[in-house]
Amino acid sequence: MRFRYAMVCSSNQNRSMEAHFLLKRQGLDVASYGTGSHVKLPGPSAREPNVYDFGTPYKQMFDELRRKDPELYKRNGILQMLKRNLNVKLAPQRWQDNGGDGVFDVVMTFEEKVFDSVLEDLNNREQPLMKTILVMNLEVKDNHEEAAIGGRLALELCQEIEGNESWEDTIDDIVAGFEKQQRRKLVYSISFY
Amino acid sequence: MLEPKEARLHNTKRRSSQLQRLKTAGCFAHLEAIPLCFSSSCVSASQRLTAPDPYSRVAEILLLQPSKTLKDNSANRISNSAMAAAAATARTQALSLLAAANNHGDLAVKLSSLRQVKEILLSLEEPSLSAEIFPYLAELHSSPEILVRKSLLEIIEEVGLRMVDHSYALVTVLVVLARDEDPIVAKKAISVGTAFYCSILEEMAVQFHHRGKVDRWVGELWTWMVKFKDVVFSTALEPGSVGVKVLAIKFMETFILLFTPDASDPEIFSNDGSRQMFNISWLSGGHPILNSVTLTSEANKTFGILLDLIQSARRLPGALAIAVVSCLAVVARKRPVHYNTVLSVLLDFHPNLETAKGCHAASVQYSIRTALLGFLRCTSSPMIESRDKLLRAFRVMNASDVADQVIRQVDKLVRKNERFARENWSGKNNQPIKHPNSWDLSKKRIMSQGEDDTMNGGVAPKRLRHNTNMHLTPQVQISDSSHGPVSTNGISPANHPSDSEPTPVEQMVSMIGAMLAEGDKGAASLDILISKLHPDILADIVITSMKHLPSSPPTLKTSLDTPADIIVSSSINSMRSPTQLQLPFDPTHPSGLSSDVPSLNSTVADPRRDSRRDPRRLDPRRLNSSGGPTSLPVGEGKEAVPVQSDLSSLPSNPLSVPTVTAGDSSSVYPTTIEHSPNKVVGNSVIRISDQLDCREDLLTAPSECVHPSKGKSSLDVPISPCKNDEGIRETTFSDSDTKCRDDLASIPDVDQHSPSESGPDFDLQPPVASEITAEEESYRELASVPSYIDLTTEQSKTVGKLALERIIESNRHVCGFDCNKIRMSLIARLIAKIDAGNDVATILREHISVDHREFKGHELVLHVLYHLHAMANLDTDESSSYATVYENFLIAVARSFLDALPASDKSFSRLFGEAPHLPDAAIKLLDELCSTRDDPIGREICDSERVTQGLGAVWSLILVRPNARKACLAIALNCSVHSEEDIRVKAIRLVTNRLYHLTYISEHVEKFATDMLLTAVNSEPDHSQIGFTAEEIKTEAKSQTTSTSDSPSARTSDTHSHQDRQTSRDVSVLSFSEAQRLTSLFFALCKKKPSLLRLVFEVYGKAPKTVNQAFHRHIPILIRELGSSYKELLHIISDPPKGSENLLTLVLQILTQEVAPSSDLIGTVKHLYETKLKDVSILIPLLSSLTKDEVLPIFPPLLNLPPDKFQLALAHILQGSAHTGPALTPAEVLIAIHDVVPEKDGPPLKKITDACSACFEQRTVFTQQVLARALGQMVDRTPLPLLFMRTVIQAIDAFPTLVEFVMEILSKLVSRQIWRLPKLWPGFLKCVSQTQPHSFPVLLELPMPQLESIMKKFPDLRPSLTAYANQPTIRASLPNSALSVLGLENGHDSRSQMQPSDASSSIHGVALT
Repeated sequence: MRFRYAMVCSSNQNRSMEAHFLLKRQGLDVASYGTGSHVKLPGPSAREPNVYDFGTPYKQMFDELRRKDPELYKRNGILQMLKRNLNVKLAPQRWQDNGGDGVFDVVMTFEEKVFDSVLEDLNNREQPLMKTILVMNLEVKDNHEEAAIGGRLALELCQEIEGNESWEDTIDDIVAGFEKQQRRKLVYSISFY
Repeated sequence: MLEPKEARLHNTKRRSSQLQRLKTAGCFAHLEAIPLCFSSSCVSASQRLTAPDPYSRVAEILLLQPSKTLKDNSANRISNSAMAAAAATARTQALSLLAAANNHGDLAVKLSSLRQVKEILLSLEEPSLSAEIFPYLAELHSSPEILVRKSLLEIIEEVGLRMVDHSYALVTVLVVLARDEDPIVAKKAISVGTAFYCSILEEMAVQFHHRGKVDRWVGELWTWMVKFKDVVFSTALEPGSVGVKVLAIKFMETFILLFTPDASDPEIFSNDGSRQMFNISWLSGGHPILNSVTLTSEANKTFGILLDLIQSARRLPGALAIAVVSCLAVVARKRPVHYNTVLSVLLDFHPNLETAKGCHAASVQYSIRTALLGFLRCTSSPMIESRDKLLRAFRVMNASDVADQVIRQVDKLVRKNERFARENWSGKNNQPIKHPNSWDLSKKRIMSQGEDDTMNGGVAPKRLRHNTNMHLTPQVQISDSSHGPVSTNGISPANHPSDSEPTPVEQMVSMIGAMLAEGDKGAASLDILISKLHPDILADIVITSMKHLPSSPPTLKTSLDTPADIIVSSSINSMRSPTQLQLPFDPTHPSGLSSDVPSLNSTVADPRRDSRRDPRRLDPRRLNSSGGPTSLPVGEGKEAVPVQSDLSSLPSNPLSVPTVTAGDSSSVYPTTIEHSPNKVVGNSVIRISDQLDCREDLLTAPSECVHPSKGKSSLDVPISPCKNDEGIRETTFSDSDTKCRDDLASIPDVDQHSPSESGPDFDLQPPVASEITAEEESYRELASVPSYIDLTTEQSKTVGKLALERIIESNRHVCGFDCNKIRMSLIARLIAKIDAGNDVATILREHISVDHREFKGHELVLHVLYHLHAMANLDTDESSSYATVYENFLIAVARSFLDALPASDKSFSRLFGEAPHLPDAAIKLLDELCSTRDDPIGREICDSERVTQGLGAVWSLILVRPNARKACLAIALNCSVHSEEDIRVKAIRLVTNRLYHLTYISEHVEKFATDMLLTAVNSEPDHSQIGFTAEEIKTEAKSQTTSTSDSPSARTSDTHSHQDRQTSRDVSVLSFSEAQRLTSLFFALCKKKPSLLRLVFEVYGKAPKTVNQAFHRHIPILIRELGSSYKELLHIISDPPKGSENLLTLVLQILTQEVAPSSDLIGTVKHLYETKLKDVSILIPLLSSLTKDEVLPIFPPLLNLPPDKFQLALAHILQGSAHTGPALTPAEVLIAIHDVVPEKDGPPLKKITDACSACFEQRTVFTQQVLARALGQMVDRTPLPLLFMRTVIQAIDAFPTLVEFVMEILSKLVSRQIWRLPKLWPGFLKCVSQTQPHSFPVLLELPMPQLESIMKKFPDLRPSLTAYANQPTIRASLPNSALSVLGLENGHDSRSQMQPSDASSSIHGVALT
């Protein structure tokens, strides 16, 4: 089965983009989103994050941060991340505004809050298509190392789901197997388009 | 549920974009060719593409065709008939393509042909042309290719929805494919079908709305849609692909939403043409095809199915469970009517992690959380009201922070909206403003306006409804909008919520009103609805409806103004006594009326009448009834109001009056109400609405009456005064049926839920003219029931069985919420009737055990059992037969559980625990389960689990069934001495850990264990049988207990008997394992009650060897488990029964093995040693903890012990305890041994020498240094220890290097004049002689006589000694006398001189030795 996947995190920068990158490289049909109200990137201190609107191109962020403090943003890996991102797609996208992007089969989120937001959003939409959508949450800490691990796990999961004709019958086993093998918690839910 | 218009829009968009794609993809070449054909036209290609003229359409079609056809047909396109021709071509083309799709071998070709067919169909302007192709298209549904079927569905979706009116052939395909074996196809079919369902539904409503009639084709399509619905519902409940079931569940949600009134839905058809999704409230004006009441009740039923599903979610796959939860959440959010029910179900839902089989419980749990979070985000009033409940739930889930966050967000939003609203309100006062989130504001307004309205009097109910308007629309507008539909439709707008947004409770009230208006049918679904309603919301409904009641009876007054009502009131006067309408409602005034109503008592005294259902409680107006301005004769109760409206129809149908029976009276209201508005249609609109409103207000009371009256009517049938009815019934029902009916009548619930299924309910048909014909028809139909056939017992059994099977079969697919109750009662009665225990059980077995997991099977079984039990109790004369049926059934079910369910399943024990009565056979079964092994080969593991199961059941039965306690206890106890160790261990665990605690059992258990122990002890061949002890053993036990008292006589008698039994002990054939078997339980009990141990000590002495072995096996384990709590043990130790010394020693050993004995223990044992038991060996285990002062006094008796015990004691002494160190150092031990004087303390010299030897054997402990120290200390003693010299010699033997030290000792001895100690002197000499030449200096220190005697005794010493003395250095130091003795001074003289003294000394020495 060819499914359409969406990777969702808060800012569509780190975790979702890492997974997007990996899945895309494996030839899966994938998109990525953030559910936050803005795109936030770490700044010189915790109180001064860099805040952008969704839709601001990664390239623009990259240039801006490099101008601001190349040392800092190189050190904390932001520039590398943005560089990776700008090769994957143009700009961060917001999940709540993705109505026009068509129908997804599987959505992976990487944080409980995001999972809740996606489900809430899906439930608030009209659901005229009678099409099921699988939403899964895998807790991944928002740093580069964990994102890399999370992205790999997301890829494995999606590949396993891809191998199934109809995931509804096997999802319990897939999730249980994943939890057992990876020793990580995984929660899924079902919504409709 | 794509809205048609949008879909259409979407399609056109898509098509143009397709063209665009084609253009860019290089098809432009074709386009360039087209202008050549349009010779007169000079429009550019691109313009033509977008222009909506027919030509471009043709071009479009042609573009999609292979270029060959393009060329062939190009000529045709020029003329005016181009379109028709093109259409015809398209048709033939489509047909050939379809043939290809059907027959071509290559799948790719099939699919591409289908794609082309789709494009052609989409392009055809005239739908009828497409419709011609549809049947051919539909044939593809049987294609073996999944993808072909799927593409077919896609075509249906795109094409069919655009021309629904022609899609008859396509819709049938949907029904078939919804069952397709391929999940993808089935899913697609369901989703397409749902879109069709909604659009056809809408079409029907719209047609009727606009034209007052519905086209035939829609009706036909609708019948298919109903079939489609049935198919989808059944897929949801039948086993199959989860994905398909999930969609089916989603369809159920849609279904519920469609047919649950949604009063918040604004306009049905707004002017801008964009329509909302269909809702049942559109049908408030009635509809020729769609029956809103049936549909509403069906929606409620479906809702019930979802609730049922969630309650059995344990069994569902995770995806399905989550889908159900999310669908329920959607329903709750969108239809607040159901909110409270859903909320309570979700809050109660706990997917059990253990039982959840294969389902990912965490996710299911999370879906509940998501649903609750969704509720928290909603701002409609029931959700706001339940906030506390939700927050509590979140706290339990550890998610309160999330919840708090959501609440903050929501509140912020609400405040923002409020502020916005206020600004707008103050700014432009007259503008209606929408702010759906301002719940609290609108609530406030509702309150204040409501107060205003009560002051307005008459119009209050109506106003109140409108003023709950959430949009705060000014009042002027309300009246306008409410008039709108009335004037257009000529139909009452009472239920029409188009202009307001009532609270869910009010929606509910209006829904109930609508149902009641439908008469009996409506009442039935109302029952279902009410049974599913949350109590809270039910209370709300009642209260709300009470609010609507006028404070004074204004409706009466106003209604009197109209001529119709005047007739009514007068008719009431005349009708009152024959119909007795008010009576059930007004029992407070019976004195005035009782003469008129002979059957009143039977009505009022209905024992099953629920007080909550009593209309008196619901009607607040009763209170001011006396003060109310009543101008009517019926003024004694305000209930006259409904009466008045009901009876408005009576004058026109005087014939129907006599059929009104007492039982029916209350059900008259709902049914006649429906007709009353029709009677007064001619009145002004205001009148209608008033009346309808008051009808609504009153609805609650009659609706509550429906239950008792129905149950009543079915019960009271025989005494009903209506002969007519009775006659009909008698002709209609055969005898057996009457019996059945009696059974049914005993459970009114059943009747209520299935009014159409039980005969007597025909009584409830309202006495209304329009209904009478229908009624007569139904009677006639009933009369044609085939005549009664007498079946043989066999036949009736078979029929019964078949019926049973059918009921069970049918249930597998239908699991509505109320079916269960009926089903259970039916099955129970059938089983009681056909009395075929085993057969029935086999039929039921599978069903029950499968179903048992969701606890419905259990319910069913219990239902059956209770029924049978009740029957058995009732029929005293026939009790045996029912009792057997009961027993057979119980046993058969129990056995089926054992066969079918895993041992870990609790069903078996639950069954026995909850069955009304446990027959002996059940106990026997239990006994078998616990202790019998029918099949020893290969079933052991299973059996062992079964034993656990059986014992578990036994335990629970002992706890919950006092009657069965004794028998169960016997089973448990017998198992505890079972020969199979596995069973025994389990049973013992049960008995000691669980049963022994129970005060009412402990004594029994103890006695049994004691008896068993004694059986073992006194075992003779005949006693080794298992079972309760024989009488003689009991008496023996008594003698044992007396012997424990310290009276010496008893003791002696005991010893006597002990000796007597000596013989029987030898004869005993008791094996070790047998002894184990009999004693295990007792020892296990000792753990719980150490005082029992005394008995063990008492019987130890006389027990056979094997039994003692068993004791020895048990004791260590027991003692260790008793641990520090051996107070009882100390007690026993302080006074051990005779013969138990070995056991005592063993106990002491164990006690001291790992831990240091407590001072208590030491004290006790010492005391025992000092007073009673003189055997020092009992002290051995304690020696290591004793101090030097304590050990020394007991040293002599220790020496006296057998060598092995002494060795042990020695080890203990030397080992010492961890903190005090050894009691004696090895040197001290040696000294202590030497200190023992043989004569005084008892141990013979031999023992002492042995002890010394024992010490010397331990060369690692008694080292050279130790010996030196000991000897060094001893040599200073006076008197010298007897064995001193012996030890010295042994020491020098053992450690030759000690020689220097020994020489010092010897010289010390010389100085102590050793020769004076006759017992030591020979030893000294021996030592000296052995140690030469080292001993020469010592020898030379001796006085001359002694030296001489030595020389004589050991003549061979002389030469070497002389040689030694002759050394110049030594010789110089020697006195002359010595030299002379050695004969060094003057040769032989000295030797001769020496001789006499030597001789004397030698004589002396000899004498001494």
